Amino acid sequence: MLKKFVGEWNTKTIVAVAIGAALYGVLMVWGSIPVFTNTNLTSAMIVPVVVGALFGPLPATVALLVGNCLADLIGGWGFWFDWSVGNGVLGLFVGLLPLYGADIKNGIFKVKHAVIYTICCLLGNAIAFGIVTPVMTSLFYSADLEITFLQSFAGGISNTAVLVVIGIPVLVLLSKRYASRANLVEEPEELTEE
Amino acid sequence: MNNRFLINYTPGSTFLHKLNGTTKVIGFIAITIAIIATFDFRIMLAIFLLCMAGVASMRPNWKPIAFMFGFLIVMNGIIGSLMVIVISPESGLTKTGMETVFWSTANGRFYLSWELLWYTWAMFFKRVASLSSAMLFVLSITPSELAAGLNSIKMPYKVCTIVSLAFRTIPDIARDFTDIKNSMMMRGVELEKASLSKKLKQYIIMLVPLLMSSFAKVENISNSMDLRSYGKCKGRTWYSEHPATKGDYIARGGIVLIFLWCAFYIIFFRNMHAPLVDFWCPWVPQEISGYWF
Repeated sequence: MLKKFVGEWNTKTIVAVAIGAALYGVLMVWGSIPVFTNTNLTSAMIVPVVVGALFGPLPATVALLVGNCLADLIGGWGFWFDWSVGNGVLGLFVGLLPLYGADIKNGIFKVKHAVIYTICCLLGNAIAFGIVTPVMTSLFYSADLEITFLQSFAGGISNTAVLVVIGIPVLVLLSKRYASRANLVEEPEELTEE
Repeated sequence: MNNRFLINYTPGSTFLHKLNGTTKVIGFIAITIAIIATFDFRIMLAIFLLCMAGVASMRPNWKPIAFMFGFLIVMNGIIGSLMVIVISPESGLTKTGMETVFWSTANGRFYLSWELLWYTWAMFFKRVASLSSAMLFVLSITPSELAAGLNSIKMPYKVCTIVSLAFRTIPDIARDFTDIKNSMMMRGVELEKASLSKKLKQYIIMLVPLLMSSFAKVENISNSMDLRSYGKCKGRTWYSEHPATKGDYIARGGIVLIFLWCAFYIIFFRNMHAPLVDFWCPWVPQEISGYWF
């Protein structure tokens, strides 16, 4: 369980997390549609889904945290640690995929997993943008809690929408791709038995 | 697309550029702590002026900087402040301790007080100060120095590799993104003027090739890193790492002073003699605000 949580930190994971973070930064800046102040309907939310599915929750967390800092740096809206940390927490929840048995690498992603995935997305957004980010914003900037909640509520809703509407099709697609590969490995064994 | 990049990939030649990565990272941490700790406008102003003096000394390209500040003024200065005024006008009283109403609607639901205006201004200025400190940091550092500096404050070097590698691949991915976008537009996919749902759908179509091409790089890069024995030893040296110079020791002296001042300020003024309200306001008397001076 713990091993699945931390993920295997070999060279491949490190490179994948780095590329995920860069992809997140690029998509956040050039691939998003503004909805509300500080809030975008962003295709960048696909990054934690892919990284989480293939490498586990902690890599997804790091990818989002670093990615959000990078997006802040290249996008031109200054550093917002409160949002970066909130995004990291969200990445943790979205990346929980391997922990409840959705094994994308072996092509296992069923309706049950999609339902748990949706619940995880909702829960992650609620905790990240309902608790973590507003509390940090009000601590750092003494901003009004009501307004911070409103902003993060809009962010949470648009994130959940993207995570579910784009995330599930991508997960199905990925698992299908890997499933066909998994079959290829098994075939020679069957042949030798015959 | 590239003119919006703030971070340099090649080191500059001014005093701040030449500092060691470690100095830059701990300096940024010190200034960030100072900004988070204070709600006093005068201290924020001092930090802001210090940071902007640093930024100006590096003779940067002012265009993206002006864009960032403009963005902040629109998003937080205008929209954010209006939201505070509309949603919770009573925060002037709760955050500064007094309320001098000079305008209100007939039923008293919406009103303006001088303290409310001061509170929104001070909150906005705190964000301006934090943006200026981030700017100072970003303009002075290169990705490789950032990785070296993070490593020297005991960050695991695998995380540092992630940071510098991500910076390295951003231009590549941005180029792929533009290529895919252009080829999609060549085929007649409307991305600029479509409706929201249509736009979203088209972004999904663009996303698939981008994901494929980006994650296809993983195998190549990780193989070449493995071939160079990445991760075999416990430590790591960095390309841009260099020993501390005289300038570094001067800068570190200043940073230590900032740290000492932060510790003193947090212990003495924010805990032992904690103010009764969050924000210092010039005309609120000391008995109400609890600020000492």
